[in-house]
Amino acid sequence: SPSPQQQPKPLYLCSPFVDAALVKGNFKTIVMLPKYVDIMEWVAVNVFDFYTNLNEFYGVITDVCTQQSCTTMSAGPTLSYTWINQDRKSVHLPAPTYIDYVMTWVQNLLDDENTFPTKSGQDFPPSFPSTIKHVYRQLLRVFAHIYHAHFHHLLHLRSEPHFNSLFAHFLAFGQEYDLLEVKDVKGGSSTVGIGALWERWREMGILEGTKQ
Amino acid sequence: SAQPGQSPDYVYFDRNPAIFTEDAQVRAKGAQLKLENYYKITVDAAVERNTRRVEMERRLLEDVTTSDSRRNRQLAQLGKKESTFLRLKRTKIGLNDFKTVKVIGKGAFGEVRLVQKADTGRIYAMKLLRKTEMLKKDQLAHVRAERDVLAESNSAWVVQLFYSFQDPIYLYLVMEFLPGGDLMTMLIKYDTFSEDVTRFYIAECVLAIEAVHRMGFIHRDIKPDNILIDKDGHVKLSDFGLSTGFHKHHDSNYYQRLLESAKNSNSTKAASRNSVMVNSINLTVSKDQIATWKANRRKLAYSTVGTPDYIAPEIFLQKGYGKECDWWSLGAIAFECLVGYPPFCSESTHETYQKIMQWQQYLFFPDDVHLSAEAQNFVTRLITWAEQRLPVEEIKRHPFFFGVDWNTIRQIDSPFVPRLNSITDTSYFPTDEIDQVSEDASGDSTAADKDLAFLGYTFKRFSVSSHAF
Ligand SMILES: Nc1ncnc2c1ncn2[C@@H]1O[C@H](COP(=O)(O)OP(=O)(O)OP(=O)(O)O)[C@@H](O)[C@H]1O
Repeated sequence: SPSPQQQPKPLYLCSPFVDAALVKGNFKTIVMLPKYVDIMEWVAVNVFDFYTNLNEFYGVITDVCTQQSCTTMSAGPTLSYTWINQDRKSVHLPAPTYIDYVMTWVQNLLDDENTFPTKSGQDFPPSFPSTIKHVYRQLLRVFAHIYHAHFHHLLHLRSEPHFNSLFAHFLAFGQEYDLLEVKDVKGGSSTVGIGALWERWREMGILEGTKQ
Repeated sequence: SAQPGQSPDYVYFDRNPAIFTEDAQVRAKGAQLKLENYYKITVDAAVERNTRRVEMERRLLEDVTTSDSRRNRQLAQLGKKESTFLRLKRTKIGLNDFKTVKVIGKGAFGEVRLVQKADTGRIYAMKLLRKTEMLKKDQLAHVRAERDVLAESNSAWVVQLFYSFQDPIYLYLVMEFLPGGDLMTMLIKYDTFSEDVTRFYIAECVLAIEAVHRMGFIHRDIKPDNILIDKDGHVKLSDFGLSTGFHKHHDSNYYQRLLESAKNSNSTKAASRNSVMVNSINLTVSKDQIATWKANRRKLAYSTVGTPDYIAPEIFLQKGYGKECDWWSLGAIAFECLVGYPPFCSESTHETYQKIMQWQQYLFFPDDVHLSAEAQNFVTRLITWAEQRLPVEEIKRHPFFFGVDWNTIRQIDSPFVPRLNSITDTSYFPTDEIDQVSEDASGDSTAADKDLAFLGYTFKRFSVSSHAF
């Protein structure tokens, strides 16, 4: 049991916020691959929507996610993500810069006809699954930072049921299509804040998919 | 701080949205609404997709003559269509994807253009609706509900909607193009129809209105301008109040003002007791009046006030109305087809309104037009108080429709089949009367859409015929 000296439990793990949800029940019906449908199209449109919706919520808190408030891309008490720059070096970036890089990069991919084709007859590139995995991983980091550093902001704005559902949907989707790497939520030496949330929600059964 | 019975994790959090700027609070609300809308649409889409699949599997299983390989091909085909539809959802559709061929109509809130989709070459009719005009009318709930009806309908009697999108200034509706023009243009051209021709169009309208009612919708603004003619000369209804829901004459304030001005004219009468006021009632409509009405007919259609000629009295009374109001409108249209002008036409909309309110004094069949007893009776069974108006089953059984086969009318030859030279033939539209300088559409359809009022407006049709591609 937690000793009183430990860090206070993050708000997103506390009642009643931990189970605040816009979408009740589990996400199976909207995560499952519809029968006969091309899995690439299905993953593509869902990632497109996750990006759009996450971007919408990040836009809400940009005023409070600044170079000063978030000097690193933090996602837990001892965890900050690093960005691989052009010289292939890992660098720490302020969270708003990091997130801007991620969102711009994803937007460009989504707009790129060679990665996310929209014209009829145009196929997805063979590299699509690995691209998607990268995109998923980076979007997960954006979620992780928002939960770690800005959850109380979402509470002030009464957005926690919405954001929780979006994230739970994102996790359920990642689980179903092997986009979610357990190490990315459980962390190694340094724990990812949202890892505990992921486990809580799994226990609650809301992330249940067709595979587990 | 935890109370007994509560989880030990329970915390109180003192919410204070004011730490955020007003702008950020609005953005938060926007993000929430968009996400709610997203999940609603996503769940609906999953249900509909499932229904389509189950339906197809059931059909294939019932048909024992279908071979396994054919069955699998058909299911793969369905999967392909569903996949293409998913792709379409990622595709940004905007004004730039369409080339304007011609302006073919002006409406209260914008215009209607004949357009060609650049990549497929397909022809559509595109309606532009000015957002500010619609907001002024304060009927956004209606526009959403009504767009949904249009979007979800697959009825042959209703104009199909393929895409809707928006930019900061306009809403755009991309619909199937009906090359035969509208009933108003036909009536301007032919003046009157024979009873046989009238029977055909009115019978088709009966089925169209019935289809609309079955979808749980009341049109409320059926008029010859909204009765469109397809390439084979058959009828389709347009304008599910999409714009007409915003019409000034649907605006409750407008009604209120009309009612008040009617009351006031009575009270001035009472006040000036000494002056001799004769409130003359004209049972006949003068030839001049008809001429004026006809000359102004198209202008009226383009004005934002619109024409109240076909509106049922109960709508003006604002005490609630039901689907019967559409049958009144049909009665007025039948009258116009047979007689050449609508029953309460006047020189001013205000006068028309007053005649409708006192329809018993003004409904009058002119002597110089011969009408059969059935036709005359039919009209009077619709232009009457709502409670006495014929319901649809009785309308269909009315002697005026003797000989009409309600099940096959859409398959029989229409009395006027449009003669078209090309898919972009607009000879059935008064394009030379319409200012071809089209509205200055911004073309910037990718601009971030901050207009929450129009949230969820953007639409792409799942098209079984894949017509959308
Ligand atoms: N799908 C279509 N195909 C061909 N022509 C059309 C189509 N939709 C509209 N039109 C033409 O444009 C004219 C105006 O359209 P519509 O009546 O829908 O506009 P509006 O702005 O809603 O006006 P109102 O509300 O007064 O009817 C119609 O009378 C018709 O001639």
